[in-house]
Amino acid sequence: MKKSFYPGLAFQSIKKNRKIYFPYILTCIGIVMMHNIVSTLSEDELLYVERGREFVKIIMNFGKWVIAVFAFIFLFYTYSFIIRRRKKEFGLYNILGMEKKNIARILFWETLITAVISLGAGILLSIVFYKAAELCMMNMLGGDLSYDFQIFPNAILNTVEVFGILFVILFLSSVGRVKFLNSISLLKSENVGEKPPKGNIIFAIIGLVLLGMSYYAAVTIDNPIQALNEFVIAVIIVIIATYLIMISGSVVFCRLLKKNKKYYYKSNHFVSVSSMAYRMKRNGAGLASICILATMVLVTVAMTSCLYFGNEDIVNVSYPREINVSVSTNSVDGLSDDIIEPIKKEISKTVKNEGAKTDNIYEFRCAFITGLTVGDTVEVDSERVNRTGISYSDLISFQFMNLSDYNRMMGSNETLKQDEALFFSDKSYDYDRISFRGGNTFKIKTKDSMFSSHMQGLDQVVSVGVIVVPNIKEAIVGLKDMKLSSGNSMMTYYWDYFFDTGLDEDAQIELSKNIEESISEYCTKNSLYSELIDFDEAASRASNRGDIFSLCAGLFSIGIALSVVFLFGAVLIIYYKQVSEGYEDQSRFDIMQKVGMTKKEIRKSINSQLLTVFFLPLIFAGCHLIFAFPFIQKMLICFKISNTPLLIFVTALSFVIFALFYVFVYKITSNSYYHIVSDAKNKE
Amino acid sequence: MSSYKLNIESKDTASELLEVDGLKKTYTTRFGGNKVEALKNVNFKVERGEYVAIMGESGSGKTTLLNILAALDKPTGGKIILDGKDFSKLKESAVTKFRRDNLGFVFQEFNLLDTFTLEDNIYLPLVLAGTDYKEMHQRLMPIAERLEIDGLLKKYPYEVSGGQKQRAAVARALITEPKIILADEPTGALDSRSSDELLRLFGEINRQGQTILMVTHSVKAASTAGRVLFIKDGEVFHQMYKGEDSSQKFYQKISDTLTLLATGGDRK
Repeated sequence: MKKSFYPGLAFQSIKKNRKIYFPYILTCIGIVMMHNIVSTLSEDELLYVERGREFVKIIMNFGKWVIAVFAFIFLFYTYSFIIRRRKKEFGLYNILGMEKKNIARILFWETLITAVISLGAGILLSIVFYKAAELCMMNMLGGDLSYDFQIFPNAILNTVEVFGILFVILFLSSVGRVKFLNSISLLKSENVGEKPPKGNIIFAIIGLVLLGMSYYAAVTIDNPIQALNEFVIAVIIVIIATYLIMISGSVVFCRLLKKNKKYYYKSNHFVSVSSMAYRMKRNGAGLASICILATMVLVTVAMTSCLYFGNEDIVNVSYPREINVSVSTNSVDGLSDDIIEPIKKEISKTVKNEGAKTDNIYEFRCAFITGLTVGDTVEVDSERVNRTGISYSDLISFQFMNLSDYNRMMGSNETLKQDEALFFSDKSYDYDRISFRGGNTFKIKTKDSMFSSHMQGLDQVVSVGVIVVPNIKEAIVGLKDMKLSSGNSMMTYYWDYFFDTGLDEDAQIELSKNIEESISEYCTKNSLYSELIDFDEAASRASNRGDIFSLCAGLFSIGIALSVVFLFGAVLIIYYKQVSEGYEDQSRFDIMQKVGMTKKEIRKSINSQLLTVFFLPLIFAGCHLIFAFPFIQKMLICFKISNTPLLIFVTALSFVIFALFYVFVYKITSNSYYHIVSDAKNKE
Repeated sequence: MSSYKLNIESKDTASELLEVDGLKKTYTTRFGGNKVEALKNVNFKVERGEYVAIMGESGSGKTTLLNILAALDKPTGGKIILDGKDFSKLKESAVTKFRRDNLGFVFQEFNLLDTFTLEDNIYLPLVLAGTDYKEMHQRLMPIAERLEIDGLLKKYPYEVSGGQKQRAAVARALITEPKIILADEPTGALDSRSSDELLRLFGEINRQGQTILMVTHSVKAASTAGRVLFIKDGEVFHQMYKGEDSSQKFYQKISDTLTLLATGGDRK
């Protein structure tokens, strides 16, 4: 036999089955493209989002695995249906004298051709799309336009690896399917309807339990950046659970509809319900895939657009006032009035020179230490902490604050006894006392969530807990002498002095520079200060606004680009569903037209089928979105956005826009379905 | 070509159900505009309660004729009057409704839907007509019993034999209580035992008053009918009544006529 026999045969059979192969390869290309773009984002230096780069990389690194899992489930399902439809063909080969070994060889070549086309086209398209998106971004952000195509070998390698393995698995599974069937059942298998899977109820229950667990995990994650691992696992479990529930749910649903005789035996339900039942599993899988992509789109859009539209929030939380002076010292003595008042005077002098005032002052002193809570005890000794094994979500950055500062900030009149404290944190704390090992123990007088978004945004990595005490210096006895293995003190001290000036933005920027200079000058002149003070900074809100905006805009553009890619994937899957079902239903509608079904009734029946399942992915996606909401919220808090109304608004808006888009796509693709099925008659 | 027109007129016009008058069908090939006359001039009548078989060789136009009678295709000229109504002039949507309400079909390839159980397949035309489930069920039971498929109703087409499928298809044709059943080679895909069984059923249904028009090239199938029309070159060429003949004798007569048609029967 000639060497090219099998590749030729494989190529021929792909061509012959192009009606089912073409949409399949198209979806393969789409998914490869999605994966490669996400993978590229995890490799790219992303010059236009300098400060958000690490964040994007971390997310994308996880994102590419989420997409890989999704691709695996979706393609596995899709391909198994293609093989099922082609069993008749394989049965014929078998009867005509081709061994299963040889059929496997054809399958091998078919898979190889599909893999090469999908990977080639997918990667190529992703490079082009990536460049186009980058150009749009650069244009928007006013960066330098470079028309060179950048290639990211690692990203491509990763995509090729993932999909290479995926195609090998697809190939092996198809060989398995062909192997375990005798030729008669191979010949017959096409017409057999899908049987409900065994243990359907168990799958449904497993799905619900998994979904519940991952929802619970998503809602209870305290710190998203540190718990990203857990969150990604939760996402993957949600994907699996969605498939399980949609598939088993669709089986149960179809059965119920069929049992309801009044509903089932209506001309516009009869055909649609029966064909849904006929391919109930595939229907469920298709809907689940749409739902997952929809969720990806919605989460991405909601998060990044909130970031974009809330960029002013980031500015305000990071820089609560026009001028923000921050001084950090290496000892608690640096927080005493003796040290601070002269600096304040120095600042006032500079401000006065500019003809401005220090209005709306926001001032506090803090000593902070990071500790691990074990019951009501806080471990701060890094040696001990290491031994017990750190879970970042148990860590709290404790900020000790003077009661006088607190009362001034809040305009309150709280009083505290010597060993009492007020405790503020968004992390739940169940005890009414807090005891620092090696330090003091405080009776907690009142517990509450954080009183200021600025305080909450102080640490991006771990939770923040503010302990308001009568006197910092006395409160941290014992703790202040603890040293890290590097020899540095475990405690860190700083003083924040923020105020408004009433100047215009240029003058604010000018003023902040002058203040920084005058403090430095004062410190160098005075040896006590140069010893105590580690670092000082006077930042103006105005000068940082631009940076923050470009970060937000950059992340927003990435989010939009990703959503476009996910949308593209969703459209392809919807298209795939309609077209593959259309070709399958062609002969059925032909018969029905002979028996007396009008074109109008075909339309009605198609619409009924759409309406029955149409909203399911949307409802599910909405549900996923609601449970992802706390995660998005916490993620945004890391970016110092805590504007919940804005987040709710953009989330709801993106959901509505997506729903409209979804309706539109379904309408268009259902037209192509209609043309396929009603064409059958005209061909005669 | 000389036009020898056979005068096939029914004696009793009051019991006429179907009248085909000067039916013509010309196909135009897509390129070059060559015209092919599939039906030149077909005239015949079918009386209420008659069982008519139409025979002819491949290419004689019998499938075209059946498609036009089934309102699946439109004639180029002529009239088809069913129960006093000319349906060759109806519009697309009206035709479908007409077909559903007046005609029953039995196809060679059964044309059962594999997404439905036999029961649901049988219900299909009634569901399309908007019939109530209770009524459908009531109508089905006697038919299913008579066709001996009452035990198979919950099965899917792929689970039953060809003969059983065809009986389900007959049940689907009968359940709408059509004016006429059009059968296209109904025994074509069946083995001889199932064929005999089906033909016996057709005879029985006909005796109960059902008008049947069957296209076939099986002499055996045709010999069960009350009358056989022979089509050649797009025209009704000859007809024979069974009369008092036994099926065997009628079989012989049909067979002889066919031989005549194939060999020297050219009356041009």
